[in-house]
Amino acid sequence: MASKKPVITLKSIFYTAVSLVWIFGLSAIGHIVMVLIEKYNPAIKYDFAWGCVIVGILTLYATRFMKSDSWQSFFGCLAGLSVWFAFEYSLMYGGHDLGVTYTWNGSYPEYRMIKWTYMLLLMVFLYLLFQESVRCNFIFYLRRKLRLMRGAIATGKIDNYGPRTFFEYIMVTWTFYVLLMIGYDEALFGAYSWFIYILFFASFSVFFYLTYKLLGYDRFGANLRYAIPTVTILWNDIEILAKWGMLKEPWVHINWPIMSVIIGGFVVSTWLIVKDLRSRKQDMIEIKDIH
Amino acid sequence: MRYAYIFLFCMLVLTIFVQPVFAQEKTLKEQRAERLHSLEDRFFAAQKEGKTIKGVLVEGNSFFNGTTDPQKKPYGKPYTDAELRTALRSAERNSKVFLLAQDGTLYYPTVKKGEADSESLGAYRFERVLTEAQKKTKTFTWATLVPMVGREIEVLGEVYPGYGGVKGLYIEAVGFEGEYIVGKN
Repeated sequence: MASKKPVITLKSIFYTAVSLVWIFGLSAIGHIVMVLIEKYNPAIKYDFAWGCVIVGILTLYATRFMKSDSWQSFFGCLAGLSVWFAFEYSLMYGGHDLGVTYTWNGSYPEYRMIKWTYMLLLMVFLYLLFQESVRCNFIFYLRRKLRLMRGAIATGKIDNYGPRTFFEYIMVTWTFYVLLMIGYDEALFGAYSWFIYILFFASFSVFFYLTYKLLGYDRFGANLRYAIPTVTILWNDIEILAKWGMLKEPWVHINWPIMSVIIGGFVVSTWLIVKDLRSRKQDMIEIKDIH
Repeated sequence: MRYAYIFLFCMLVLTIFVQPVFAQEKTLKEQRAERLHSLEDRFFAAQKEGKTIKGVLVEGNSFFNGTTDPQKKPYGKPYTDAELRTALRSAERNSKVFLLAQDGTLYYPTVKKGEADSESLGAYRFERVLTEAQKKTKTFTWATLVPMVGREIEVLGEVYPGYGGVKGLYIEAVGFEGEYIVGKN
């Protein structure tokens, strides 16, 4: 974060809106692809998962050759989504193999399995919390408040944002799935418990706070990276509303008119991002131009 | 330009895996629609002839150890509210679910005769036959056993002799009133 009070300009509003639409569209399209495969051709789902993991790794590797942090973030996010796809399918396979049932309140076996990764999530989180070179704003805030910093804040150029965005996408998605599934567990809290109500309202509030912060970025690299938690936090509310029966998710019930709007938004935002990044490259002065 | 090629390559690899879905989508969609239509026809024909099996789904552990007595309760309400909560929780922990018919026959849901290598039916998605009124609500076209514990369902399927009085039941399709997940279509 460059400053505590974001400087909001028309340009930053445009970049924020495009990033939010792109990340939201990406998540929605990811969901509908899974639903379509499950509905029409479930036989290919595990092959598809392997395809996703290969594409994810290749995309992640490709970020190593990219010069712009925006392209690195863009492809890092896609790589994260691909590998996350594969992770969900692996849990689906595990759930099927172990005979994990649906819960009576409707949670799917793979998400029941995700809940039990909470200790693994805690271990990764602890590493991030104590690893002083991690520059995530939230982690940094916790580290400061818990007085965990022993030395100076890590500074300097980050050479490749691809793996960071990849990891960020996975961690954020993972964290909120675990949180939701713990909340939905009727033995602990339940879908209509105080925990879920707090999560709902906290997510709603934090979404607006993060959007406000996001408005301080006027280029796609940082904007895309920070749009990931912003959209994922909003997604909590979507999931909770669906759980309460107050929303029929268009990607689950395959509502093509609404999905067409989302896919349209995703295509247009992708075009705007790619166009912007390509024009930036033309304006860029490279070392070879100086010599 | 190099990035565009890398991206295109990735998309190509993805397309190779996803392509069958989109290439066959129409056919698969049609196939599924035909299958559901055929199931509907057979279900309602069997219903007219009285060949469907109606019963309430009960949770096996508390039934077999005699902790609950769903067979002694009025048909259609096999559990008290407190019993239902624990029955549902046990079922989602993979306690077996049975179908208790009104005449007292107990059915054990199983896979089709001849299948030796099988999976837990606790996670199996059964095709759901919808009435015209239900179709308008865009409700789920499938159902699993656990959320249905304590409720009445109607089954199109095959009955096997089973063992010790408990019959085997291969469920091809189910029909029931109301929502699949109560309060959440």
